[in-house]
Amino acid sequence: MSPILVVENVTKKYGGLVAVNDVSFSVMSGEILSVIGPNGAGKSTMFKLISSFVRTTSGQVLFKGKRISNLTPHVVARLGVVRTFQETTIFRSMTVRENIVVSHHLRSKASLFGFFIGSAVAKADERAFGESADDIIEFLGLQSIRDELASNLPQGHLRALGMAIGLATNPSVLLLDEPFAGMNHDETMHMVTLVKRLRDERGVTVLLVEHDMPAVMKISDRIVVINFGEKIAEGIPSEIQSNEKVIEAYLGSEDDAIGL
Amino acid sequence: MEQILANGLYLGAQYALIALGLTLIFSLMNVLNFAHGQMYVFGGFVTYTVVVQWGLPFIAGLFVSAFILAVIGALIERFLFRPVIRKSHREESTMLLAAGIAFFLDAVILLIFGEKQRGVPKIMDGVLNWDFRIIMPYDRILIGVLAIGMIVAFILFMQYSKAGRAMRALAQDRVAAQLMGVEVDRYSMIGFALGAMLAGLVGGLLVTITGINLGMGGPTSIKAFMMIMIGGAGVISGAIAGGFILGMMESIGLTVLAIYGDITYLVIFASLMIFLAIRPQGLMGKPWG
Amino acid sequence: MNIKKLFGVILFLLLVLVVVPWLIAKSGRWDFYYTLTSVSLLSIASAGVWLTFYIGRINIGQGAYALAGGYVAAVLVSKYGINFWLTIPLAGLFCAALSVLIGLPILRLRGVYFAMVTLVLTEVMRLAALALPVTNGAKGITSIPLPQELSVFGFTVIPDFSTLANTKLAFYLTSVVLMVICYFVLWRIVNSRLGHLCRSLQQNEELSASIGVNTAYLRVIAYSISSFFGGVAGSMFVAISQSIYPSSFQVTDSVNFMLNCFLGGLGYVFGPMLGTLVLYFGWDLLFTAGRYQLLIYSTLLIALILLLPNGILSMGIFNRKKTRS
Repeated sequence: MSPILVVENVTKKYGGLVAVNDVSFSVMSGEILSVIGPNGAGKSTMFKLISSFVRTTSGQVLFKGKRISNLTPHVVARLGVVRTFQETTIFRSMTVRENIVVSHHLRSKASLFGFFIGSAVAKADERAFGESADDIIEFLGLQSIRDELASNLPQGHLRALGMAIGLATNPSVLLLDEPFAGMNHDETMHMVTLVKRLRDERGVTVLLVEHDMPAVMKISDRIVVINFGEKIAEGIPSEIQSNEKVIEAYLGSEDDAIGL
Repeated sequence: MEQILANGLYLGAQYALIALGLTLIFSLMNVLNFAHGQMYVFGGFVTYTVVVQWGLPFIAGLFVSAFILAVIGALIERFLFRPVIRKSHREESTMLLAAGIAFFLDAVILLIFGEKQRGVPKIMDGVLNWDFRIIMPYDRILIGVLAIGMIVAFILFMQYSKAGRAMRALAQDRVAAQLMGVEVDRYSMIGFALGAMLAGLVGGLLVTITGINLGMGGPTSIKAFMMIMIGGAGVISGAIAGGFILGMMESIGLTVLAIYGDITYLVIFASLMIFLAIRPQGLMGKPWG
Repeated sequence: MNIKKLFGVILFLLLVLVVVPWLIAKSGRWDFYYTLTSVSLLSIASAGVWLTFYIGRINIGQGAYALAGGYVAAVLVSKYGINFWLTIPLAGLFCAALSVLIGLPILRLRGVYFAMVTLVLTEVMRLAALALPVTNGAKGITSIPLPQELSVFGFTVIPDFSTLANTKLAFYLTSVVLMVICYFVLWRIVNSRLGHLCRSLQQNEELSASIGVNTAYLRVIAYSISSFFGGVAGSMFVAISQSIYPSSFQVTDSVNFMLNCFLGGLGYVFGPMLGTLVLYFGWDLLFTAGRYQLLIYSTLLIALILLLPNGILSMGIFNRKKTRS
């Protein structure tokens, strides 16, 4: 396995505040890598840096050897690195299927003008998007809410829809932002299976940021631990579990149950 | 040079006062008050009526127009904005309402005061002449000083009074303010009344210098919008900065660009666009307000 | 397009192109032609505003482009003798190009900020018309000749207007046809991928960017189409009034375009058309109220917003085919 995504000495400062400090790690092609850390450790910032939603202060992020930091989000998405969002970031006034169909944008071969006049390529595109959307709906088990308005969905389905939107872009690397947050045990286990199938059946490399320790231990090939913006450990789950620095970091923070 | 600065300062003080009212309403309720210019015109006409037609002193005119505009503002908030904000799916509906109110006030002003240009006799005679470097009539100086005094009073009020603190909390975070026990409805109404009152006060001040007519409402609103865009919407310091900057630019433009014709505002707008391209949130605004 | 829709379109065309002229001829109310012509042209400009709403921006600057389009047509026809019918697309293109220049910096602004800048833009365009030499200042451009003949390969599509007995009818018909074309374009945009992407932009710009949509580019495209409509409407107005002044389109007009969209409902392609009709006719009918016209009009407007804060088409009976909540 070769690294598909490399984070190289990335630092992000907001004014005098250092959110991420000189962090480096790589994601191998086809692996599931989790970034964990106590609240406010800089995980979310890390995420935004990789997807070019914010600019780095120094350092860079490479995807297949090409720099993707400090570009714009849509360019990064076009290259194949796509993020999902926490909570309710969806197209609220579209149905589930419409959400997924519209997210196929990157796969379209026809131009916008082609779509306007309804060219043959555009029609073929629309047909392909529809089929692929139905595929994704089936893959994630969303058939029952297919034509439901997204704003009416309960929390759990929203998370799945967010993932479906990400999948629709046909990503090489999918960045999942706290996919298990607010889920009960059963839902979490279901999600763990889904993410694994994502990788196994669709060949998507997954990088996720998460709080939920047991789920992370179950799902990850490798784990990177961040605290106060710095990387304090990296390794396979069993190594992380017994790493003293990690235990210390988590015991030191009040609001996170470590759950080991 | 000194003359330009003095003119700019005088204009800026009036402008800042207008922008303060607009930005206060915006920060409290996220409402862009299109009718702000009309409120200003209304205040001018009220002062005219009190001073010229009733023969009362100028200061009485100011008080009456402040009072009437505050009442109008309170009523508009209570019976128009509050229900619409509550019922509408989109916050933009308030913009439609504000436009409707602007038309409505225009109609009311037309019916009550007519469409003639009105003015109040000079409240003070004489001209200050400092070595021909600054030449300025005393009444302008007085009005400028009054305006600056009101700005200071407003800042002190927002800083130290209970209502001022409550409104600042409300502007910062509506939900948090509510949790802290701030009566949101009550202070929204007070804030709207205060904003309208400021517009009325400036109208009252300026009617002595430039006079007032029906057509001044729209352009005044537009100038006020430019000021809060320069300074950053919803920020008190920004409104003051925006007001003074626009006043200065206008004063400089009218002198320097006069030979090219009436292009001051074209130039100001072009610079505003370039400025906003670099700093969309204005000088002191929070990103995306 | 399915049969039902086709039937609806044919019915609409019959109504505006045959039934309305027949009714007017019967009743002798020739002044209605001017009213209806204005409605169709104003609804073209409103359609543009509606499209900017569709990408989640409140546009109160359409008056600026209508004015610019009007001046382009006026200058081209009166100074360069270009056939008026050619100036319609030229005016549209000029406005589209102008809007790209203006849009690049200001389309990054959101919500109230964008609304404010566009409102200021209308005022600035008026000032520009006053100051620039080509526009002839406050005197405006007057006595613009009526539209010439338009022929394609020797076949007359539109006859020379100065030879026509009834120019009112001719202007009405051409304006309505222009409106139909513009709304067809708008309808196609909204129902093609371009429209879907615009909707995604309106609902969540971050997510839209993260699925690979070039949001900045798309915003500029939508805004320039919108301004194109504004320019088209402005140029046609010039042909009818045969004159243009800096005050021909002002802040009030820009605000009215926005009101038309709001009132008709922002979720419906034909909303702006309905809104324009209601507002313009309402205003016209109130003419008899004399000096109370503005008072009654604004009171009704406020009452309407209080009762239906989400637009006329949001009423129950229209809600069968709801595109957005």
